[in-house]
Amino acid sequence: MEESGSVDSVESLFSVPLHCIMFFCVQVYKDPSKGELPLLPEELVQDSAKDVTYICPFIGPVRGSLTVTNYRLFFRCTDREPVFGLDLPLGALSRAEKIGAATSRGDVSYGLVCKDMRNLRFVHKELEDSLKKSAFEVLMKFAFPVSNNMSLFAFEYKQVFPENGWKVYDPLAEYKRQGLPNESWRISKVNDHYELCDSYPAALFVPVTITDEELRRVFSFRAKGRIPVLSWIHPESQAAVVRASQPMVGQNGRRCKEDEKLLQAIMDANAQSHKLFIFDARPSVNAAANKMKGGGYESEDAYQNAELVFLDIHNIHVMRESLRKLKEVVYPNIEESHWLSNLESTHWLEHIKLILAGALRIADKVESGKTSVVVHCSDGWDRTPQLTSLALIMLDSHYRTIRGFQILLEKEWLSFGHRFQQRVGHGDRNHTDADRSPIFLQFIDCVWQMTRQFPAAFEFNEYFLITILDHLYSCLFGTFLCNSEQQRLKEEVPKRTVSLWSFVNSQLEEFVNPLYVHYPSHVLFPTVGIRHLQLWVTYYIRWNPRMRPQEPVHQRYKELLAKRAELQKRVEELQREAANRTASSSSERAGSPTRSITPVQTFV
Amino acid sequence: HCSADCEIVVNEANFVRKCISAESCQDDLWGKLVCTNFKVSFITHNSLPRQRFQCTHRLLGEHDIPLACVEQVVTVNDVKGKQKILGSNQKLKFNPTELILYCKDFRIIRFRFDEAGPESAKKVCLAIAHYSHPADPQLLFGFEYVGKRYHGSTGERVNGVDPGGGMQTTLFDCSSDWDREIKRTGASEWRVCTINQGYFISPSLPEFFVVPVSLADQDLKQYACFFYSQRIPLWCWNHSSGSALVRMSNISDLQQQRKVEQRISSAITKSHPLRSDVFKSDLDKNLPNIQDIQAALLKLRQICVIDPFEESEEKWLSSLESSRWMEYVRTFLRHAVEVVYMLESRNVPVILLEKEDRDLSCVISCLVQLMCDPHCRSLHGFQGLIQKEWVMAGHRFLDRCNHLKKNDKEESPVFLLFLDCVWQLWNQYPAAFEFTEVYLTVLGDSMWVPIFSTFLFNCPRQRAENSRDFASSKSIHLGQDQALRFPPVWDWSQQFSLKDQTLFNNPLYVGKIATCVQNGTVKTFTHRRSKKNYSSTLRGLPSALRNGSLGPNDTLARRNSLVLRLRSDLSQVREQQETPSERFIRDFFSRPVDLQGLLLPQLLPSHLSVWKLYFLRWVPEAQIPQGGPITAFHKLSVLTDEIDMLQNQLRQYKGAGGTPNNLHAEHSKMYFKATSTPHQPPAPPEYLSSSFPFSPVGNLCRPGILGSPLSKFLNGAKIWLSTETLANETI
Repeated sequence: MEESGSVDSVESLFSVPLHCIMFFCVQVYKDPSKGELPLLPEELVQDSAKDVTYICPFIGPVRGSLTVTNYRLFFRCTDREPVFGLDLPLGALSRAEKIGAATSRGDVSYGLVCKDMRNLRFVHKELEDSLKKSAFEVLMKFAFPVSNNMSLFAFEYKQVFPENGWKVYDPLAEYKRQGLPNESWRISKVNDHYELCDSYPAALFVPVTITDEELRRVFSFRAKGRIPVLSWIHPESQAAVVRASQPMVGQNGRRCKEDEKLLQAIMDANAQSHKLFIFDARPSVNAAANKMKGGGYESEDAYQNAELVFLDIHNIHVMRESLRKLKEVVYPNIEESHWLSNLESTHWLEHIKLILAGALRIADKVESGKTSVVVHCSDGWDRTPQLTSLALIMLDSHYRTIRGFQILLEKEWLSFGHRFQQRVGHGDRNHTDADRSPIFLQFIDCVWQMTRQFPAAFEFNEYFLITILDHLYSCLFGTFLCNSEQQRLKEEVPKRTVSLWSFVNSQLEEFVNPLYVHYPSHVLFPTVGIRHLQLWVTYYIRWNPRMRPQEPVHQRYKELLAKRAELQKRVEELQREAANRTASSSSERAGSPTRSITPVQTFV
Repeated sequence: HCSADCEIVVNEANFVRKCISAESCQDDLWGKLVCTNFKVSFITHNSLPRQRFQCTHRLLGEHDIPLACVEQVVTVNDVKGKQKILGSNQKLKFNPTELILYCKDFRIIRFRFDEAGPESAKKVCLAIAHYSHPADPQLLFGFEYVGKRYHGSTGERVNGVDPGGGMQTTLFDCSSDWDREIKRTGASEWRVCTINQGYFISPSLPEFFVVPVSLADQDLKQYACFFYSQRIPLWCWNHSSGSALVRMSNISDLQQQRKVEQRISSAITKSHPLRSDVFKSDLDKNLPNIQDIQAALLKLRQICVIDPFEESEEKWLSSLESSRWMEYVRTFLRHAVEVVYMLESRNVPVILLEKEDRDLSCVISCLVQLMCDPHCRSLHGFQGLIQKEWVMAGHRFLDRCNHLKKNDKEESPVFLLFLDCVWQLWNQYPAAFEFTEVYLTVLGDSMWVPIFSTFLFNCPRQRAENSRDFASSKSIHLGQDQALRFPPVWDWSQQFSLKDQTLFNNPLYVGKIATCVQNGTVKTFTHRRSKKNYSSTLRGLPSALRNGSLGPNDTLARRNSLVLRLRSDLSQVREQQETPSERFIRDFFSRPVDLQGLLLPQLLPSHLSVWKLYFLRWVPEAQIPQGGPITAFHKLSVLTDEIDMLQNQLRQYKGAGGTPNNLHAEHSKMYFKATSTPHQPPAPPEYLSSSFPFSPVGNLCRPGILGSPLSKFLNGAKIWLSTETLANETI
């Protein structure tokens, strides 16, 4: 009896919220004979090694066998019952290397740094046959296919799902939902073949009063040609959310009259307000410093009626550093006595606060001030989509549904060219690349913060957000590959890969928040104080075996829903029977139908 | 209401302004400031700027503050730049222009006297200061309140407590209550001891308590004098395995210490089914003392409601850490888990040792029972638990609440700390408790409504003596009662309507099998049912083997040699030397939770949260309009109500066979009820916010920060953001 107790506890180390198990975590195999690796379509075993030891930071060394496929690393423990496995998509690896030289006993140690807040450590014996590659060398080849001139697993994976997720986002349908085009806004085909801006989508909405000829001149005035175009329009006030990159003002204060006219036209398209707010996401110092490099910000002289506001959000390098510190604080173990001050010193929540506060100000300006806004940072592909998409979630309840959220990601992040390939570094060995940054993770964190504050306002649950993040790294789906719409088309990503939404939308019930109700007032104003922000422990600390998913309210809610359905059925049955009884002869008293009912258990 | 005939107006001032926002006075309310022998009242005909919801209190109006809730009375003359904290019987040399009341429940309320007569302003301030510092416990309003009822009584409600007030809570003030608890927990080797009847042995013990059967009354009388305040060790509870939880004060006579301790321990061992040795847990050594706890709360209050919101944002987390409140909450929970481990896994009886056995023991013994015994997680079980471990065991509520404001050194929020610990458990297992966080918050607030037997006294004897004295001094005929019968706080109808009391009912609660007491006998014991859930894999082994098998090296020894070799090779890898109790916790977390069984909290600091409803409810900037956990509660409540309605329908079909009538609405246990269109769940009402059912409006007006952006927050983020001043500040 005692023995089995201890085995249970080993299993517990790896038991994580059930929903996380599917792709990413450790799987627990109750039956060792079934501890086989479940291979995906087109997934092939590349190598395997026995007698590998996983140095678990929580329980110490665990022995087992290691399998490397073209998609994942799979470690199967053999010295414990029940057998458990460690299942890691290679895409989640940021860095994999041999640590130190072989010891006198011939043991070699490998460290794996993961993008999902884990570090793994393995030890195995140096191979006697020095010509044969070890499983770890094979792993490093498949972990970084891009660096090895191979293709990502997403291009091999051929699973067929009932729904095709690539069809989720149809830009014209989405703009049509917003009532566009209308008398003030038109679609421009000027970038139809991405010739003016290769990081923008083909379909751009601009004020009708601006000609394509004028737009062409604006392209050369905005950084990377990312001109001010419409993201969203308020259904009643017609106040618009417009996104752009910084103007190329430079030290000499260059001006562009077409750009000035465009912003004036954006303001004029909204009859409710005679002002335009320009939200520059950067700290004002950074914005000023950009003038040295030819960039800068709109001067209020050149743009009359426009008011410029800086939102103080830091750049990708600051954010990367903050996440690095956060990982140090949460993995593997938490220093208990200084947890809060350590967390504070990472500034992670402070950055989350600034991003949410910025988005809140944008949403407030549009909703309460009925004023159109232009949002930009430097290139308009990092802080800008963070701000616009969060503001849109606050403003438009459609984006709080599962499909609406997918559309939002496809539109604000993917079609407008957030550089996923660069920021995540899919399949790229160069982990020190200064272009990597957790910008998208921050955005998902902000969304999670909002779901905590408004538990009934979002159709999706936490698992949905975690799934998106897991597949941001996994390279199983094509959704987050490449840097822009143009690149994805060139690589034929929609043809050659499966969309994450195909997978998600084929099992929607997994991702539904049962507490969801449609809010009548469609605007949410979250409270952005640090007091109301919390660390997303179920994501950042999910590998810690001392953490356990909270007693899920959702689970209980589903039980209650089932209970209600059952009761409704019984009541309806009885109503029918009662109706039948009165209809038939009243003398037939013998078999009272109510007797068949089992006593109902009392609830609350 | 009935308080009217015993409440006397002491002083009042007209044309007083109650400040609603710190910056501008445009929302301020005009009215009359009244001081009675019960409360500070503000009577106004204006309504608050925003329509909002508030739970209506039967004894207190929207703007009322009970005198017992006033922590500090500060008068200000802003023209002369003077400020004075007023105590009892003091003089005031200037005419106040402003009065600020700092309340024990974290509210800060401000009045201005610009238009009031200077003399009447001064008088009302002095009256408030004086009456909020009663010189004698009998001046606390509760005496007047309860005493009046005896005067006018006509026999039906003789004792001031509504006999039919739904009082199913065991008060543990009679020997049969203890007998039932012994039976409920299966503590057959324990008995009720009556030697303290009339409080002749110990002044701070209750008249009835439980001791090992092997100790005769004669022995106990003999031992009593060795203990601090003659407190004979008290039985708290029995684990289903037979291990008892006992609390004990220090033995004052050091020479006798060993001998007496041995006698007590061996008696407890004799009462154990396996004759296991006793484990002693020294609380004074392992837990913060009452001054530490008080200091932590003061710091927490500083950062929650006094420091300006925006400025304190940046350092919020480290300030929270340096307040140490969360650390103490965790320390208490962790210590309780250690005790649970001894009872549950080691199967040994535990003695909680504390110098006086009247503070820390109350917290730990309650937490242990809450974790182990699902009965304590029902509403009445929880209330009975507080009666047993706090009220009867003699927690010095009078001193700890500092109702008389005489000795600040004795003031300490031990009970609030306990409530916070319970909230943490609740927050981690919301479906395991019959009550809600609103209940816990309101229970905490009730400490400052000085009419309840629960919170007015230091021990049962003090209650008896004070009320006897009061009765004789007022020539009240007590009839059959021994003493004035103060209502316990559990008589919730004293404070809230039945409708408002439904806010206490948790729609998620699973269970509810045990608590029905019918005709004085408990019908079902949840405890029995859950016995199997307690069982650890160890039960049934001989105790010697069990203890031997718990060594930390146990699991390691079973690993093969490779692992052991690796350990030496990889010395840089930090080995986790897991203690047996850590393994016990990990074991627990490896299994699915049984909400009717053992519950252990997650103790990682990242998994404890600030009890926002309690600590931040008055802070306007921290309010989430139309958001917060209440919006989920709303939906759950509606669904639960629907289920209830369907079950009623079924019952009616089954019973009378008639058509279902619409009595449901009146009997619903849920605050938010199902609508007629059940498949279209309504959106959360507009008035819901994270502060619900409380409201920051008019309840938090920080002084001395005129000109700060505070008021911009007062009407919600929308308006604040539109003013655009923040932009100018940040640039």
